[in-house]
Amino acid sequence: MATLGLASSLPLLLLVIAGAGGARWRGEGTTPHLQSIILGRCAEHVALLNPEQGEKNCTAIWEAFKVVLDKDPCSVFPSDYDLFINLSRHSIPTDKSLFWENNHLLVTSYAENARRFVPLCSVLYGRMGDFLSWCRQENASGLDYQSCPTSEDCENNPVDSFWKRASMQYSRDSSGVIYVMLNGSEPTGAYPVKGFFADFEIPYFQKDKITRIEIWVMHEIGRPKVESCGEGSVKILEERLKEMGFQYSCINDHLPVKLLKCVDHSTHPDCALKSHWKERDRCREKRKKYTVTYWDQPGHHLPGLLSRP
Amino acid sequence: MANHRFSSVSEEEKPCCGISRKAQICLCVLFVLLIVVGIAVSVGILMWRQPPKHKEWKGPGTTAHFYEILLGRCYTYTQIVRPELRHTDCQKIGKAFTSAFLSKDPCGSTEQDYRPLMELTTQTVPCDKTLFWSKSSELAHDYTWVQRDMYTLEDTLLGYMADGLKWCGDAGSSEMNYQSCPHWREDCSNNSVSVFWNTVSKRFAEDACGVVHVVLNGSISNTFDEKSTFGRVEVFNLHPEKVHTLKAWVMNNIESVPSDSCSSSSVNNLKQILKTRNITFVCQNNYRPVRLIQCVKNPEHSSCRYNL
Repeated sequence: MATLGLASSLPLLLLVIAGAGGARWRGEGTTPHLQSIILGRCAEHVALLNPEQGEKNCTAIWEAFKVVLDKDPCSVFPSDYDLFINLSRHSIPTDKSLFWENNHLLVTSYAENARRFVPLCSVLYGRMGDFLSWCRQENASGLDYQSCPTSEDCENNPVDSFWKRASMQYSRDSSGVIYVMLNGSEPTGAYPVKGFFADFEIPYFQKDKITRIEIWVMHEIGRPKVESCGEGSVKILEERLKEMGFQYSCINDHLPVKLLKCVDHSTHPDCALKSHWKERDRCREKRKKYTVTYWDQPGHHLPGLLSRP
Repeated sequence: MANHRFSSVSEEEKPCCGISRKAQICLCVLFVLLIVVGIAVSVGILMWRQPPKHKEWKGPGTTAHFYEILLGRCYTYTQIVRPELRHTDCQKIGKAFTSAFLSKDPCGSTEQDYRPLMELTTQTVPCDKTLFWSKSSELAHDYTWVQRDMYTLEDTLLGYMADGLKWCGDAGSSEMNYQSCPHWREDCSNNSVSVFWNTVSKRFAEDACGVVHVVLNGSISNTFDEKSTFGRVEVFNLHPEKVHTLKAWVMNNIESVPSDSCSSSSVNNLKQILKTRNITFVCQNNYRPVRLIQCVKNPEHSSCRYNL
């Protein structure tokens, strides 16, 4: 009888041991060497990138972060990161805040490692968590390297709570002109009405420190334009900002960002640039239009340029 | 009340405490000797306890938190940037890196010092994807950040780890010198940092294959600088049996009047060198995708606009 019981539970036991029943959660597991990466990023930020922000104690910051690694992966709240944020926060230069949805890589490219803009991933606390994943195992101490919960698994998971808390702080510390980059080719809409920007950034804008808000709706080169300024979810955002009393403006395909997107689409007609050589020749001799390349503008709206001769 | 009176006692006249004059002198000398020895021993102990002072150099010292940054970058690179390298042993690499310069004369660095590190970090860049640069660091790296299938040296593991950092040790100490490190020109050229970059640049060039590219600065007089790392090390370590063509993208500053920098004498010099090495040279002025990167900073410039 006992042997039978053992025999029947053996496959289940093996399954549990091998972890072969599929990952517990939907998200990526804890990033290996998490501590070294976080400490290294902190050290780099302090030593190389922002020495003027004063000495930050990276060890103390890590100790504050570590606390969540002992908690149940579905019971981690934004407030659990309060000490971590308090130790790592620093001021953000005015007019340099860049908020975004659905274009992480473009934002980091354009921000040029905080030389041009300072998005959340260039702020110390944001830098430390960027692209990483972490959680404790469900029923044991120790990190889960197989998988971690996403919002679909449970709301109060370590990673989402981190970004909620970080977003709130980033928003609170932002001032001057606020820039927002949205993806107008995103099928679900450029402005997610439920998302980090909507729920954890906009509500924490400090009205007395913000002069105006500028929205850039970027479109993928050669992909359909799902939404543009004044349309769909962008309209919802514009109205929300208006209601809150903010002065705002919206630009489709903000030129410097579009130029950046064109780097790996340089032969696409949407990216055809006027050739400088040809511009000089044009003054000397009449040239047929097809030899002069120019920005293709069907249906595009590039404010500021249409008025130029 | 006792009447205390101090009077000088002639040494010759009154022996003290019942000991002879000679004995007194001997005792004094012994006493002094003891004090001197005592001081010497204390100073000796203190000096031994104190870390020996590093040599003073003319360049900035080792970057603060050097080792943490190095290790963190190794993990970021192997876990996130190029996850195909996730089984890399970063601890081992970190140790090999520091043992190349710790406890050694920072002006006597050699390629041999970095051999163990080099052996731990082989990384193949796909053919046709190597991008060299000279006097165009920001532009070249902005380009590969967007064009992620091309690699500059700083997009490979070792380059990524060491980019922007400074390091040196000292022959008389096992510590890193955070105060100063040798300056290339004012102290010595065979310093730990320069030798590192020469070593990794050499291998980067040796490993290249197919068509290789270089971003050059057409707005300076020595567009091709024979004294630069590209000119001294990389060009001469390309293997002609693997690399058949070098394509140069000569970029002018966007504000300057465009000139045919490809025809300049310094670029011609590069062409001749490659000719003798049996490598075809192709040159392009203001290669468009890289021009677009420049345009991001100057979107209103006429060459960045469309034509109505």
